[in-house]
Amino acid sequence: MIEIEKTGTPAVPIVSGRFVEDAVASTRAFGMPSLQWVVVPRIYRNLEHDLCRSQTADVIDELIGQLTSEMDARVSDIDTVGGRTYEADDRYEAVLAMNDDLISEDLGDGLPLFPATQEAVAEMLTGTNLPPGHVVCDMPPGFGIATVEKIAINSVMAGAKPEHLPVVIAAVKAISNIQADGGKSLLMSTSPQAPFLIVNGPIIDELGFNPRSAIGPGRDNQVNTVVGRAFAMCFRNIGYWYPGKMDMDTIGTTRKFIQCIAENEDMSPWDPFHVDQGFSRDESTVSLFITDGELDQQDQGNTTAEGLLKNLAYGCVFGTKSIQDKGHTQRLILMPPDVAGPVGKQEFTKQAAKEFIQQNANHSLGKMIQYMPLEGEARVSEKWKWLENLTEEQRLEIEFPVMDSADDCYILVVGADRAKTAILPSGPAPVTEGIDQYRA
Amino acid sequence: MYTLEVQNPVAEQRGVVNSFTTTPRPKSLDGLTVGLLWSGTHGGDVALNTAGDLIKQRFKNVKVNFYNGNNYPAPEHIRQKCAEESDVVIGATAD
Repeated sequence: MIEIEKTGTPAVPIVSGRFVEDAVASTRAFGMPSLQWVVVPRIYRNLEHDLCRSQTADVIDELIGQLTSEMDARVSDIDTVGGRTYEADDRYEAVLAMNDDLISEDLGDGLPLFPATQEAVAEMLTGTNLPPGHVVCDMPPGFGIATVEKIAINSVMAGAKPEHLPVVIAAVKAISNIQADGGKSLLMSTSPQAPFLIVNGPIIDELGFNPRSAIGPGRDNQVNTVVGRAFAMCFRNIGYWYPGKMDMDTIGTTRKFIQCIAENEDMSPWDPFHVDQGFSRDESTVSLFITDGELDQQDQGNTTAEGLLKNLAYGCVFGTKSIQDKGHTQRLILMPPDVAGPVGKQEFTKQAAKEFIQQNANHSLGKMIQYMPLEGEARVSEKWKWLENLTEEQRLEIEFPVMDSADDCYILVVGADRAKTAILPSGPAPVTEGIDQYRA
Repeated sequence: MYTLEVQNPVAEQRGVVNSFTTTPRPKSLDGLTVGLLWSGTHGGDVALNTAGDLIKQRFKNVKVNFYNGNNYPAPEHIRQKCAEESDVVIGATAD
């Protein structure tokens, strides 16, 4: 609607229920805080048609009013400049008061925050060669202006150290390069898409990232957790990825407590992922994927490459297949050394493994499109229109590849010993950003 | 008494720094063309057609055009066609 308004044509959207805050945030993010809208109580998508009609009729007077009357611009009350002061009997009490205040305003992830004092932020900034005012990017989905200083403030609040800052800066830059618009529609979706970070290169050992049992809490994953949290704090307070505003999940996911893991390069039979992405082995990088699920694909005794890969291919059918124009089904495979080792040893290059998985990851098309009623559904691309002429039974019987191409399959070697692979539905294509350019 | 001062983590938004204003509105919809821009999700089309029908009932010589955007956001060429052929546009965020 904002793009229509920009052409000189008045435009008003009908906004459903809990999306009002999203509408407020979106008008600011996309450059037209004065855009008007009307609100209906319920989301249309799964509503009976009589209710679709009646709740629209209820707002028709307001809708006509918005189309024929000038309205005042909405003024943003978000403070992006001033700091905050807390007074208490001692420092501990002051930090508790700060946490109560910041978390109540949703400026944190719900866990205790570290105080971003002037001294702590100055110390954090020693981790990079960039000046505080340098703009790294406009961070999606809210397109906040990501200065190095704001990234440093959020990194302090997350408990990061100065040496972590270049990784966080690189990750912030990476997300701005997902698709042409930072993947904003996905990030704002009612599905639980979340960024997933993986580092490669010498920085793994230099900073102590864990490439083994890399996802989860505890001592071994402290760096993975803190760096991921720092990025998540930036995503919240710079990217405006606030739940109920620009993150509209229906249920949500623990993957939104973002972690930054490492590839187990030492145990991989292949080149590390950042080399696939065009970097040299001695460069340090962070790669950002957008994931929307996670499956533990267990292998109970295969020793042949084909057996291991067929099992993985079966795991890849978990999830859905898009039949939209822009839909592109991908899989991020975190392959443990006990799978990657035998597969590599038995003459499979990484590319050959990806091709084998793609060719064997077939499933019932009817199930992958979730029994979707196609009649009246406009988001079916032309190449899938033939599905509309089939019965449900016919759609269920057709076996189809989950991924269109081997390029939709991303393999990274991660994990401790045991053949249990993590498969994450993902997409659009990941972005890899160099870290070294941001180091002090 | 201990005083703790912390810095502000929230960034300014580009869309607020470089913002556009809305277009001047017509006084009435009489004789105008109303564009209905559908994002392609179930129910949104029903809502938009309802709005179009009700506007036709209330104003004289109103023409209503329906545009299937197929997606959110609608592709640029459909947005452009809708904007060029319409005096006002109504959309729906159905999910």
